[in-house]
Amino acid sequence: MAEEGKDGERDGLSPTARGMRQAQPLVDAVWRFIGGAVVGVVLGYLLDRWLGTGPWLLLALSVLGIGVGFYAFVVSLSKLGRKK
Amino acid sequence: MRRLLVAGVVLVAGLALAEPQEGPGAEHAQGVDEKEVSVADYILHHVSDSNEYELEVPILDKYNKTYLLPQLFVPMPWGGRSCEPLAGAEAHGDHGVARPSLAQGCLDLSITKHTLFMWIAAGLLVLLMLTVPNRDKRQLVPRGTWANLFEAMILFVRDELAIKNIGTKYGAKYTPFLLTIFFFILFMNLLGLLPWSATATANLAVTLGLAVCVFLVTQFASIRAAGFKAYLAHLTGGVHWALWPIMIPVEILGLFTKPFALTVRLFANMLAGHIVIFFLLGLIFILKNAALAFMSVPFAMGIYLLELFVAFVQAYVFTMLSALFIGMGVAVAHHHEEHGHEAHGHGH
Repeated sequence: MAEEGKDGERDGLSPTARGMRQAQPLVDAVWRFIGGAVVGVVLGYLLDRWLGTGPWLLLALSVLGIGVGFYAFVVSLSKLGRKK
Repeated sequence: MRRLLVAGVVLVAGLALAEPQEGPGAEHAQGVDEKEVSVADYILHHVSDSNEYELEVPILDKYNKTYLLPQLFVPMPWGGRSCEPLAGAEAHGDHGVARPSLAQGCLDLSITKHTLFMWIAAGLLVLLMLTVPNRDKRQLVPRGTWANLFEAMILFVRDELAIKNIGTKYGAKYTPFLLTIFFFILFMNLLGLLPWSATATANLAVTLGLAVCVFLVTQFASIRAAGFKAYLAHLTGGVHWALWPIMIPVEILGLFTKPFALTVRLFANMLAGHIVIFFLLGLIFILKNAALAFMSVPFAMGIYLLELFVAFVQAYVFTMLSALFIGMGVAVAHHHEEHGHEAHGHGH
């Protein structure tokens, strides 16, 4: 991150833009966490409606989505930690 | 002068106090309700888009004219309905006759009043940008009020918006796009404040179109800065390939949040201001009280001046956020370039 700060100063970025850039990986990580759950639920619901398989795909894909979201969240954060 | 003003206020206040005495209370309340509905309808009719342009002459109602703008329906292969131009009462969308929809097989490309004012804004933009800047290459310093005014604004967009949000490396390359967006939105906003005009930016379709342009440029900037491969790799979220069916929709959904925010912000800001002005003036008719004019007209004037400010602020905010998003697109790529090998290894 310190490197980026130096880069930023040379790039003539405003403090806001630099802050947004630094926050972006964290925002991405959080979005993966939430988005995984959202996509799992919506996909499960739609597939259930299409195939008529009751609540089962909704349940399965919801759990899978939450799991994948959490996994992606942890992976993103651990990568950020390693970069520091 | 002051005495006259006080006398006027007292006179109208007297009228105001006298007016509620007319008629029984219950009937009056019902009347208020009906009027309220019609005022709301009137306002919604005026801020929404339509296929007709209304030229209203204040006080002299007999000179009011409604012009029907050209209609264009393109038949789609799945439609069974004939796509003939509508005539008479049918053409006015608000007379209970639905216009043929896309699902029915008619692509409605009719010119609406918002389209008209968007084109006027575009025309003005082209005209001004062709005439105002100093085209004489031998003399680079601008001369005259207009050239200096526009130079100040253009320099502001380049130095304060483009370079500060995108960086010196790419900032100048995206300045023409940001300038176009800034002045186009500004002109549409300002045109909407003139009498007999319509605000194109108070239309969701227009703001969505602008946001789609910003979205495409952001993705283009990201791809150009990082290369297509790294861009695609970023879309996978850096997880194992077996999880991609869930991760890729998540990342793609994430891409659309920013343009969505841009769309709604500009649309809501421009629409809300106009509705507030209309309702402040509408209060006079809702409460059937002429004395309210002394309150609602100055208030409406105040909001109008605020709208003038908002027209500039919203153009600025839209451009600033566009620059920020483009900058973040470039930065994501930059990020990926520097540390991407590690993420890549994990992903595959």
